[in-house]
Amino acid sequence: MSEASKNVVLSVKDLEVTFRKGRQRVSAVAGISFDLYEGETLGLVGESGCGKSTTGRALMQIVPSTGGEIYVDGAELTSLSKKEARSLRRKMQMIFQDPISSLNPRRRVKDIVAEPLDCWKTAKGEERDAIVYDLLNKVGIDPAVYGNRYARQFSGGQCQRISIARSLAMRPRLLICDEVVSALDVSIQAQILNLLEDLKKEYGLTMLFIAHDLAVVKNISDRVAVMYLGKLCEIGPSDTLYAKPAHPYTSFLLGAALEADPEIEQNRATLSGEPPSPLHPPSGCRFRTRCPFATEKCASEEPMLRDIGAGQQVACHYPLVGSHQ
Amino acid sequence: MSTETNQNNNPDEDFLVVENLTTTFNTARGPLPAVGGVSFRLGHNETLGVVGESGSGKTVLSRTIMGLQPRTNVEVGGSVRFDGHEIVGATEAELREIWGTKVAMIFQDPMTSLNPVTKIGKQIGESLHVRLGMSKDEAKARAIELLTLVGIPSPEERYEAYPTQLSGGMRQRVMIAIALACNPSLLLADEPTTGLDVTIQAQILNLLDELQMKLQMSVILVTHDLGVVATRTDRIIVMYAGRVVEMGRTKDVFKDHRMPYTRALLESTPRVSNPSHTRLKTIPGRPPNLLKLAEGCAFAPRCSRATEKCSQERPNLEPTGTDGHYFACWNPLDNQSAPVSSSTGSTKEFGEDNVRS
Repeated sequence: MSEASKNVVLSVKDLEVTFRKGRQRVSAVAGISFDLYEGETLGLVGESGCGKSTTGRALMQIVPSTGGEIYVDGAELTSLSKKEARSLRRKMQMIFQDPISSLNPRRRVKDIVAEPLDCWKTAKGEERDAIVYDLLNKVGIDPAVYGNRYARQFSGGQCQRISIARSLAMRPRLLICDEVVSALDVSIQAQILNLLEDLKKEYGLTMLFIAHDLAVVKNISDRVAVMYLGKLCEIGPSDTLYAKPAHPYTSFLLGAALEADPEIEQNRATLSGEPPSPLHPPSGCRFRTRCPFATEKCASEEPMLRDIGAGQQVACHYPLVGSHQ
Repeated sequence: MSTETNQNNNPDEDFLVVENLTTTFNTARGPLPAVGGVSFRLGHNETLGVVGESGSGKTVLSRTIMGLQPRTNVEVGGSVRFDGHEIVGATEAELREIWGTKVAMIFQDPMTSLNPVTKIGKQIGESLHVRLGMSKDEAKARAIELLTLVGIPSPEERYEAYPTQLSGGMRQRVMIAIALACNPSLLLADEPTTGLDVTIQAQILNLLDELQMKLQMSVILVTHDLGVVATRTDRIIVMYAGRVVEMGRTKDVFKDHRMPYTRALLESTPRVSNPSHTRLKTIPGRPPNLLKLAEGCAFAPRCSRATEKCSQERPNLEPTGTDGHYFACWNPLDNQSAPVSSSTGSTKEFGEDNVRS
């Protein structure tokens, strides 16, 4: 299917988020653009401080964006009035990293899940209870046994299931998952990842999956976007991007990921140094200070995200793979 | 657990001998056996990985080996012999003799392990001054040497820095410098790279490798990350509910594991080498409550191979025949059926998602 024929659920154009720190300005997200197609999962990876969570939060307008546009099903979110934006946001839901602090420990599970319904008054009485019952069943929490328990009585994995049930109550189009499995043990992580895959199919969800774990992101995503210091380095279909990373940063990131297999030859070429401060980002390409291939051009001219075929786009003057044709 | 005590008669292995080690916390709700009888040996220059999920007892085990337990409400049994010292039951004065100089530890969170109001140079020099009796100037020179050793750029300037002025990766390097200050022969690293970014994690792990060679140390690497143990250890201990369920050479445990839990853990780990949307196998249920441990194998309620015997009688560690490879299971997997990479499609050997138990 060509990209043109797919419905764009979310379109982000030059999104910017700038925080003030005293007299200084930190551009946490420095102009990123991407589209999210219906039924797709886009993974957003990067190291801490690269702006991936801020991107997710700005899409929900939890932090105000300071520039750029966010289109949800064609409607521009940032120019809407508060009331209109709130209404549009019903279509978008977010799940957070820490499942336990995302839920009110003193409320009963069935009330937590019903809260969006109560807020929007979309269902009440028996209908409301039936929806809650169904949602809890879908996420693997038996409503008859656990519905009346308090959130504090549940483990991290179960709390994440309850958060997922709550996020689905409004039948959203778009689900933003911010590090939703990184606080969980691997056996529980696998349960939640499989659950998200199942629910995505069942509810026809479009997902933005933000995480730092490269294996997790590859597992769940159709396409993956890599961020570094507030900018997108590369975006492309998961299997292509992992097999043939075009941006040197993606390549180093993949090289540093440890595979749970002692017989796989591990790449010991590590990236030296640490990311520069976003208070004083380097000129030109933001990765150039750590990039072994950087030249003068990289310092003077900022590389723009460009198509290299096979659905892959890269922001680098000297990509590791040429055009796919 | 008599099978493990004479697993290997190589004298080189007797550097650290842990025998039937138990750590029980007395809680308001009854005794909690965090470590329930662990035995193993560690040789010189060897790296042992301890893996398990949260609550499996891996951190308590490493702290008990170090002799770090709360003074009250804890009972430690068994024995930890280390280079001629018995750690279980040692007085604090005796422990102080070996802490730092013989055995040192690095913790997961470098920020809370460092004193935020003391310059890092002083924190590194502290043990040099107290333990080795160095003068202030000597300690400073050595501290700068150590900062260089752990790869901190411009060490003279950083000597004067406070922990908050450093990044997470740099703080972990400082922690390593402190641990290595008095040339310990055993380094316990408890989740040393958890919370660090992958590129920084790779730097720290390479550094530990390098220093282990240079300084001839034995290392116990405690982690939940199977990727870290796969590449950086010689042998592995897999823990579940406070006990060792499988141990052996890293290669053997990854390729020829016999305990169903080990396989379940490996198969539920997403891999970069698998195509996207590979269905992960899951382990149904949750780890057991240690306050209410049943008679038999602790993994039995989640295990697809469990029989009646499993819930009645606890399996002991049995040798597989391969050198140093042991497992605790009544219905072990056979040698041939151990594909490490998980297959595509929905496989239900370990059951589907289910927390309704």
